[in-house]
Amino acid sequence: MDWDEEYELIRSGRAVPRAGPSFLTRDGSPSNDDPHTNANSTTRHQQPQPPAPAPAAAAAIESVPDFYPEEAEQGTPLEQLTRHWMNERHAPDILPAQEDLLMNLLDHLRRQSEAVQLLREDPSTSEEEHIRIMLVQIEVERVKFIVRSYVRTRLFKIERYARFITTNAEIQTRLTAAERDHASRHAILTDQHFYLSVLQGLPEKQSHLDDTPLFVPPMVTEPDKSRPVFVHALQRCPRVRLPDGATLDMEKGHISLMPYSVVEELVARGEVELI
Amino acid sequence: MSLPQSLRASVSPPELELIASQQLIEIVPLISMEKTAFISGAYGPLRPPNKARVPLWMAVNLKMKKKCHIVAPSWLNVEYLQEHLALELSQQTFSSLPFRFTEIAKVILDVASDDLENPDKIRSLMKDLREARQAKSREGLKTLDHSELSLPNLCSMEINEIRPYFVQSMSILTQLVRDPLRNA
Repeated sequence: MDWDEEYELIRSGRAVPRAGPSFLTRDGSPSNDDPHTNANSTTRHQQPQPPAPAPAAAAAIESVPDFYPEEAEQGTPLEQLTRHWMNERHAPDILPAQEDLLMNLLDHLRRQSEAVQLLREDPSTSEEEHIRIMLVQIEVERVKFIVRSYVRTRLFKIERYARFITTNAEIQTRLTAAERDHASRHAILTDQHFYLSVLQGLPEKQSHLDDTPLFVPPMVTEPDKSRPVFVHALQRCPRVRLPDGATLDMEKGHISLMPYSVVEELVARGEVELI
Repeated sequence: MSLPQSLRASVSPPELELIASQQLIEIVPLISMEKTAFISGAYGPLRPPNKARVPLWMAVNLKMKKKCHIVAPSWLNVEYLQEHLALELSQQTFSSLPFRFTEIAKVILDVASDDLENPDKIRSLMKDLREARQAKSREGLKTLDHSELSLPNLCSMEINEIRPYFVQSMSILTQLVRDPLRNA
């Protein structure tokens, strides 16, 4: 049932406006709905229509100019995202979010898809054009795969370290607002679930999720920064100190296996990539 | 879950192939196409019979529709691979090959073996190379310690292959040397 039908039913008194779950599932924001269902007794065309996508699109386009100066040394946006994707996959910790880069690429994806849509609807499109359209579409799918996999990788780490994220201010700076929100909601949900299903039945001393008993590893899952990673130097790197006390100068192209904590800063600065 | 179990510890070979497919390769197109803007850059124009440089994924798609011939990269031929195999067998170190040579060679051998000279010989050379290099990386495991292991000239697919074993071995070595007082 759509908005208009329901509105007609309510007006004619054949249905009672229902608050609560039905509103929540439809739109997720009952507070926005209420003024319209209650106070809106005038005309239908005041019904809230889906907001025009224009503001979001405009914001995405605005972010483009900031971005291009860096392109020359770091490769195209897609190359950059591919590198961030691989880094994110291999790093045990959560890396800084690449919001601008992602926005820029999503915007580009949308423009390409729209262009394809337009050309496909045009009956005068020639056979030769069809090959071009097909190739553009293939690329769109390739890029979408990388974007999805990148986001999913972050999501996986965020859910895994949700409790740690809520207590650590430093790691929060590396997440977007939406990711922080997701982390805290996930942490609260799992906490409640554990409490209701098991913890409330345990003695008070054992009913917490963040106990730090002696000789036992901490209960909050933290990123294990000592996990080794394969590192590929993209440029000559400043000297790093290894766990055994030795130092290492990495030339461009150097490949090496070493603990993540050693190269953490180099990864953040983009001087090395993880492979 | 957001990330399947099988993808958590490592990257899968198809994903590496996807990344490698972004690399440019020469083709001889059989159709013409105007210069077109893609997300990764502008490619074309295609004007048969002039050669053009396009990403591997595009070459593969055109090839499967019989719209182009793929020009093999300079390292994908019997002489070059034979030379490298000889080097590989005579030296202790890894010889230098393109970083994503396994993925690219596999893709080309799969879809465009008719554009290569003697593809069967190339296949068997690739296999020999792989085995020779694999033996060396196994030897390398002996020198693994808890702090660092340099792997010059190792290729993307080879790293992916040794990753689970090497990462776990190194983690265990790290635990063994960890200062017991620090965590207490």
